[in-house]
Formats: sequence, structure tokens, C-alpha cells
Amino acid sequence: MEALQTKAKELLAAGTVQVAIGYGKGTGNARRPLFVTKPERAADLIVDAACTQNLATYLTKHEVRVMGRMAVVAVPSTLRSILQLAAEKQIREEQVLALAVIDGQVRELATFEAIEEAVATIPDAMSEADRNMIDKLSAMSVPERRAFWADELVRCVKCYACRASCPMCYCERCTTDVNRPQWIPVASHAVGNLEYHVMRAMHLAGRCVECGTCGKACPVGIPVHLLTIYAEDSVRRQFGQRGGASAKLDYAMSTFKPDDKEEFIR
Amino acid sequence: MARVGVFVCHCGENIAGTVDVAAVAKAALDMPGVVHAVDYKYMCSDPGQTLLKDAIKEKKLDGVVVAACSPRMHEPTFRRAAEEAGINPFLCEMANLREHCSWVHDKGAATTEKAIDLVRLQVEKVKRDRPLQPIRVPITKKALVLGGGIAGIQAALDIANSGNPVLLVEKSPSIGGHMSQLSETFPTLDCSQCILTPRMVEVARHPLITLYTYSELEKLDGFIGNFKATIRRKARKIDEKLCNGCGVCQQKCPVKKIPDEFNEGLSFRPAIYVPFPQAVPNKPVIDVKNCTYYKTGKCKACEKLCPTKAIRFDQEDIVEVHDVGAVVLATGFKTMPVGNFSEYGYGKLKDVIDGMKFERLASASGPTGGAIRRPSDGKEPQHVVFIACAGSRDRLKGVPYCSKVCCMYTAKHAMLYRHKVHGGQATVFYMDIRSAGKNYDEFVRRAIEEDGVKYVRGRVSRVYEEDGQLVVKGADTLLGAEPVEIRADMVVLATAVQAQNDAEELAQKLHVSYDPYKFFAEAHPKLRPVETNTAGVFLAGACQAPRDIPETVAQASGAAVKVAGLFSQPTLTREPIIAVVDRQPPPVFSSCVGCFLCKSACPYQAIEEEVIKNRNGDVLKVVAKVNPGLCQGCGTCVSTCRTKAIDLEGFSNEQVFAELMCI
Ligand SMILES: Cc1cc2nc3c(=O)[nH]c(=O)nc-3n(C[C@H](O)[C@H](O)[C@H](O)COP(=O)(O)OP(=O)(O)OC[C@H]3O[C@@H](n4cnc5c(N)ncnc54)[C@H](O)[C@@H]3O)c2cc1C
Ligand code: SF4
Ligand code: SF4
Ligand code: SF4
Ligand code: SF4
Repeated sequence: MEALQTKAKELLAAGTVQVAIGYGKGTGNARRPLFVTKPERAADLIVDAACTQNLATYLTKHEVRVMGRMAVVAVPSTLRSILQLAAEKQIREEQVLALAVIDGQVRELATFEAIEEAVATIPDAMSEADRNMIDKLSAMSVPERRAFWADELVRCVKCYACRASCPMCYCERCTTDVNRPQWIPVASHAVGNLEYHVMRAMHLAGRCVECGTCGKACPVGIPVHLLTIYAEDSVRRQFGQRGGASAKLDYAMSTFKPDDKEEFIR
Repeated sequence: MARVGVFVCHCGENIAGTVDVAAVAKAALDMPGVVHAVDYKYMCSDPGQTLLKDAIKEKKLDGVVVAACSPRMHEPTFRRAAEEAGINPFLCEMANLREHCSWVHDKGAATTEKAIDLVRLQVEKVKRDRPLQPIRVPITKKALVLGGGIAGIQAALDIANSGNPVLLVEKSPSIGGHMSQLSETFPTLDCSQCILTPRMVEVARHPLITLYTYSELEKLDGFIGNFKATIRRKARKIDEKLCNGCGVCQQKCPVKKIPDEFNEGLSFRPAIYVPFPQAVPNKPVIDVKNCTYYKTGKCKACEKLCPTKAIRFDQEDIVEVHDVGAVVLATGFKTMPVGNFSEYGYGKLKDVIDGMKFERLASASGPTGGAIRRPSDGKEPQHVVFIACAGSRDRLKGVPYCSKVCCMYTAKHAMLYRHKVHGGQATVFYMDIRSAGKNYDEFVRRAIEEDGVKYVRGRVSRVYEEDGQLVVKGADTLLGAEPVEIRADMVVLATAVQAQNDAEELAQKLHVSYDPYKFFAEAHPKLRPVETNTAGVFLAGACQAPRDIPETVAQASGAAVKVAGLFSQPTLTREPIIAVVDRQPPPVFSSCVGCFLCKSACPYQAIEEEVIKNRNGDVLKVVAKVNPGLCQGCGTCVSTCRTKAIDLEGFSNEQVFAELMCI
């Protein structure tokens, strides 16, 4: 923790970055995002097991960007988010610097290449609980699975916290906001909710970095991240690549390679 | 409020026999926005079109739906009629009641119900149609001809003589193709080289033809009128400008024993070689696989002795991109290898040869100077058996079709043999004699009646060697399948004509269809025989199907006319059914977020990046932009874009949504 604070302080003092995005103290034991612009405030930064939110979400926000170069405290999925954002031309190398927290160590990663190298060495980090849930869902029959999700999604109030928390949901206008025509119904009813979540999962297939932040953001406790993670998992099985692996990644859903498995075409 | 007219066509009995067309018209009248609906026997006929035009004028229609056949068939017809009546042609839509309904369902209420739904969809669509203006795109008036056999030569000359430049790309070191290897040609027995070489020279000299031999197409992008062809010019290892074709290098090359492709392996060539004396261009290539220098790092004998210092061991392949407006595919054929025939000795019997080898034996420019000598011992064969349909019309060999040229060249071969070996005996085994064509049957009759060739109707079951002779076992089906056994000195197989090995790969590069045997497919078997399904790509010669020289030349000239016709237009008119990326006033500029995931999705490379800057030149936003010249309106980007920033003119999100919601 001290290492991080020192690093952030140095970077801010030297003017290398103008803002450090990290975790600060929230209510109780919770952690909330903290935007540090003055070196002396770097001491407020915290790193511990409670820091799980993917802060890459803020890298595309106009309000943050105008501050200048951003340093972001990065868990592994944050690093992958940066690469995926780069692949989608949403961020340039000179705009960001990652303060990676890997196995308690703080590493400054200033180039996409360095981030790629770091990402390549980090093993898959899906939580035990998520893995179990995915296995459980995969084992279900289609009607069972549909019933499971119908039950979950009926509680969705369309607050869009999942979308707002997701680093890859950076579109200025989401499909849900398009009203000519209104593809996705505005009201939160069973069908409309399903349509929203299926749409979102489709949009994240091949792009989701499996951070789980969307699921944690949901105020009514719907494990929406399982939908996107499952879609991402399918893409990996079919096309052999995962979202956020490289800053030059081709979009799996719009590129064809002769050795694609295409098991879904029968 | 919309004023839509609906016109339901009977298509004779095609639609009316299954669908209650009057009921469809009546139901249409109840659809919101429809002010006029009728049914008529043939909407595409002159009175049918008049009906449509009059109604547009009299009822002041601002949209029409013609419920008839496939839009692929008649959309242009009705759009033209609508335009003539004074409305924008893109305000005319078709409901396909024939292919989508009457042809695929039985007569009944449900079928009529579906027909009504199909009309309802188009009514909803037409109400949301916007007037569109056709797009004009320039044409690059230069043709690419792939393959330098007689087909490619003829096509290139005809296109060039119509005043348009041509890039002729040939894979091997010389143009000429199979025809350059032939001895004499049926049905006139004129010498193949004598009629071909002048044309080869004409190609080389023509100011409008650029000839790239030893080159291949790597990739073709773009579309009709505006293709981009990537060509790999393989390194000959020779500076063609310096080489004067003296041939010293070939004599001095220490490698001597490479089977000569031009002579079908009947003779040998060095590692640096010109494929045949009349080759165009008459410049050698170094066969890198067999050259001593490339294998051991030592030799360079040719370099030392070349008087013009033209040898370039360090020469690399050159990859060039050329803009062309049309492509003629003329890549020819191959014949089935003799090794495919277990019954005829797997190609291991030296004196069992194929037709191409026989051509070389009979050719004055061949390894024997035109004397018929069998390969094993060089003796003059006294009895030659010719087997027609070797592989052709044989499902087990994967070739159910007739190879078309073999009956004729087999007659020619037998005839040539009889002319050259006076006492020799020629026997032909055949299934049927197919000799349709001007002076063709007369030719075969001449072989039988004047030249004494013996024709036996029947198949040969086996050929094997015994006491230095070949034993041919067959049956004469005209004599009640009586077994026949002939002792022959040489056997000539008329092996099946097949598509080139790389035909499928090439077809995929050019996006043209091919048949189950990998021959390139014409757009219509009767009415569009030289066109492919890909606009701007044409076919000539044996790459489309087995064919002889007269047919090949005729088709090549046909393809050339198509190209010349295309090039005679000042610009191409294209349908304005293209994608458009949303634009808005500042500060938003566009709902596009510039992720460019659509860019890789577009199969036609039509998506470009547009940089929006302020007055000071600062970049405000980078957004997608569709190049209207390249976009083919496939809609792939529309479904890829998450923010729905792209829409397709004529098939907008709103239209598709309205169509979905009305049923
Ligand atoms: C044994 C035999 C005897 C025959 N005798 C007669 C006869 O007497 N009279 C008659 O009318 N017909 C005869 N024919 C038929 C005649 O050979 C064909 O009609 C004619 O050769 C077809 O010409 P083509 O240009 O279409 O193909 P080809 O002659 O095969 O020429 C194709 C050319 O394209 C080149 N090529 C291939 N692939 C590529 C590529 N990917 N890129 C660039 N270039 C490529 C090849 O190297 C070749 O030069 C005979 C055929 C055979 C097999
Ligand atoms: S969809 Fe959920 S799990 Fe995937 S990147 Fe977005 S927030 Fe993370
Ligand atoms: S956060 Fe939860 S409640 Fe809100 S929109 Fe997402 S799934 Fe629905
Ligand atoms: S042309 Fe004659 S020999 Fe050749 S495949 Fe056809 S029928 Fe057989
Ligand atoms: S049009 Fe859509 S998919 Fe294409 S760059 Fe813009 S936002 Fe991305």
C-alpha cells in the first residue's frame, strides 16, 4: 500500500500524470473510487482485498480525461480493459499509465506492450463462486436455464448500473437509448428485461474482460456478469482468443479465420 | 398520410393457382395507408405496367407494392415503370408471392393468409421509404486477364483491340497454355504452333497489353469497375531487360536431368531454362528448387558465362497492386494423371501414356522431332491402342461428365499415327463417338474410312505387360460383349479433362461460384455463359468446362465484348442501397463512438475513418464513414454496430422494425 502511495505521489509531483484513479475509503469496509490530483492526497489511496471494482470504466469518461494523463490502479482485469479499449481505439498510449497490483506488488506499466506482457503471465482469475455458477448453468437443460434467468431478470429495475459500471459499455448512446425504432423496450418487464440483457451479452461477447463488476454493481443482486462471462467463454472456445489479450486484437465476432471451429454451424 | 397502391399479380397460374389473389387485393385495401389495390394476370406485361403507371398518376400514389415474383426478377421492371409515372423508383417495393409463397405451399386459406402478411410487410416498408438517387461510380478502363492459354490470349487481344489496356497474368514462364504443346489440331489438322505463335507474338508486341508471365494473382479486392488486384511477380532471377535470349546459360548449366514440363517429361531440361523455343517471352527462368547454387551455395556457371550479365541470384518476388475494372478468368484445365488408373498400370508402365504425351511425340517440335517412338525403348510402335473416356463418364473416378475433346483428339491421334507409321495398326476403344461440330463427324469418319483406324466399341478392363509387350483386355459390346485381347506396343489414354488444382482457391479469391467439379460457374447456363455471379468477372475457355479451341476462342471473344461493353460506359450506375453512418450537429457530430469494429466486419473494405477537427485543427472525434463507391449494402456493419450508428438506405432499422412489428 505504501509502495502505491509513494508511486502515485511521485507521478503526480513530477507531472507525469495529472490524476491517479484508485480506491479510497468508503462507508464501513467498502471501497470507493478515488480521484487523486494532488501529490499530498496520494496517502488516501488504499489497496486491499476489498478493492475489486474495475476502475478502467473511468478511463473513457470525458470528465476524467480532461484532467490530463491518467494513472489507474489496476487489478488484472483492469489491465485487460485497457488493452481492449486500445484495440477499440478508445484510448491512446499517452493517455494512460497502469499501476498494476499483482500479488501485492505494485508495478508501473507505461506502455501497451508492457501491459500485454503482464497480462500474458496472469492466470485466469475467475472467482471460485463464478466458476461454480457457470458450471451449474452449463449443466442445466435449456428450459431450466431459461427458468433460472427468467426468475433472476424479472427483478431487474433497469437502473443500468450494470452498464454504467462496465468498462466496455462506453458507448455514448446505448442500443437501449435508441428510440427510432425502440428495439429494446424502456419499461422493465419480463420480456424487455430479457431483451436488454441478451442484447448486452451479445455486445460483450469477445470484448468482456470478465471483471464481474457489472454483477457487483447490481442493486438487486442479479448475477448479470455470468451472462457476459459465459458469452466471452464461448468466444474463447470457438475462436481461441479472449477480450483484452492485446491492444491489436481483432474483434472475434467480425473477423473470419480459416481455422475457426464453427461448431455452432451444424 | 401515405397513399400506397398494391398490385397483386397472378403470374398466370403460378401464383393465382395457389393463392386467392382477389382476397389478397381486398385485404390490402384495409391496410392503413393503402388507397388502391387490384389484381392482374401478368403485372410485368405491357398492360400490367400500364395499370401501375396509370394508377400512380390517377390516384396520386406515393408508394407502390407489387406483389408478384422475386425482386431479383422484376424489381428493375417495376421500378422503371414507377419512375416513368413520375415517382422515385425506390418508392416501389415487391412482395415475393411466388418464390416465398405460392411455389412453396399448397393451396389453402393459410397460404393466402401468408400472402396477405407478405403484402402487409411491404406496405409498412414502402410507407417508410425515402426517395433515393442512384450512385455513379467511375470505371477503371483496364482489364485483368488471368491465364495465358489460347483463351486468355484471345480475350486480351480482343479487349486491347477495342482500345482498352489489358494486364495479362500467366502463372508459368511462357504464355501459350496447352495449345502450344499440341501437334496438329482437329478438325483441320493445321499445326498448332503455326496458328498460335503469331498470336503469342502479337500479345507481346501489343502496345495496350502488359504481359506478366511467371506471375500470380494473390488477392482481388473491390468491385466491378473498381477492382484492386494484388499480383505476385515471381523472381525469374534474370534481368529481363538485359537478357537477349541467347541461350548460353541453358547450355552451360550443369544440371541436365530435370523432366521437361513442356515435353510432358519425355525429355530433360536444365535448371535455367526457356520452356520451349517459341516461348513468349523468350527469356529463361531459374528453377530455384533444382538449381545447384540454391541447393549448395556454389555454381553460378550461368552468371559467369552470360554475355549480357543478366543473371540476378538475389532477385526477389515483386508484389504489385493494380487497379482494374474487369477480370477475365482463363486459367484452363489439367488432365487426370495416368497414376489414377490402377487398371492401366498406375502410370508405372512406361508405354501407357496420356494424350498430352502423344501430342508431344507427334509434334515436329517434340523430343522425337515428330516421329512416333515409344518411351520405354524408343522403338516405333507397330500397334497402338487408344482408350477413349479414360476417367471421363466414370462416377467411380469422380468424373461423371464427358470431357468433350477426347473423342476428337483420339481420332486425330490415331490418324496422325497412321500417317506417320504406315504399316502400323491403330485400334480405338470407345464408349460412344461424340463428334458434334462443324466438320467433326466427317473428321472421325475419315479416320475410320480413309486412314483405316479400327474402332472397337467397348471398355478396356486391364492393361498389363507380358514379354515386353502390352496386353490390352477389353470387350467388344457390339459383338455381344465378346472378350477382346490385343497385344500392343503402346497405349494412349484419353484422360479426363479436369479443373486446375488451384481452381477452388482461385474461385474463392475472386468470389465466383464453381460447380462440384471445381469448374467456374457461369451466371446463367444459357443466357449468361461468359459472366459469373460476381459482376465484372468473366469466363473464357476450359476453366469453365471442357472445351476445344474453336469454342474457347469464341467464348474468349464473347467475354472480351462484355468487358469492352462495360468499358464503353462513362460511369457505372449503382443502386443507392448503401450504409450511412449517423451525422449530427456539434458537439455530438455522430452517435458513432469510433470503435471501428464495423471496419473489420465489412467484407468490402468500405468503412473509412473520418477525423472531425475544429477550426484550430484539434481532433474532436474520429468516426466511421462509409465509402459509397465500395459499399455493397450487405448490412453486416449495421448489425455489428452496438450503438446503432449505421443504417442501411432502403432497408433502415425503422423499416425492418415496422415490418417485424406488423405481423
Ligand atoms: C491431349 C489434348 C489434345 C487436344 N487437341 C485439340 C485439338 O486438336 N483441337 C482443339 O480444338 N482442341 C484440342 N484440345 C483442347 C485444347 O487444349 C483446349 O481447348 C485449350 O487448350 C483451352 O485453352 P485455355 O486457354 O482455356 O486453357 P489452357 O490451354 O489450359 O491455358 C490456361 C493457361 O492459364 C495458365 N494458368 C493456370 N492457372 C493460372 C493462374 N492461377 N494464374 C495465372 N495463370 C494460370 C496456365 O499456365 C495456362 O497457360 C486438346 C486437349 C487435350 C488434352
Ligand atoms: S460485462 Fe461485466 S464482467 Fe464483462 S467487462 Fe463489463 S463489467 Fe466486466
Ligand atoms: S444493475 Fe441490475 S437492476 Fe440495474 S439494470 Fe443491471 S441488472 Fe437491472
Ligand atoms: S469426348 Fe468422347 S471420349 Fe471424351 S469423354 Fe466424351 S465421350 Fe468420352
Ligand atoms: S459505426 Fe458503430 S461499430 Fe462502427 S465505429 Fe462507429 S460505433 Fe463503432
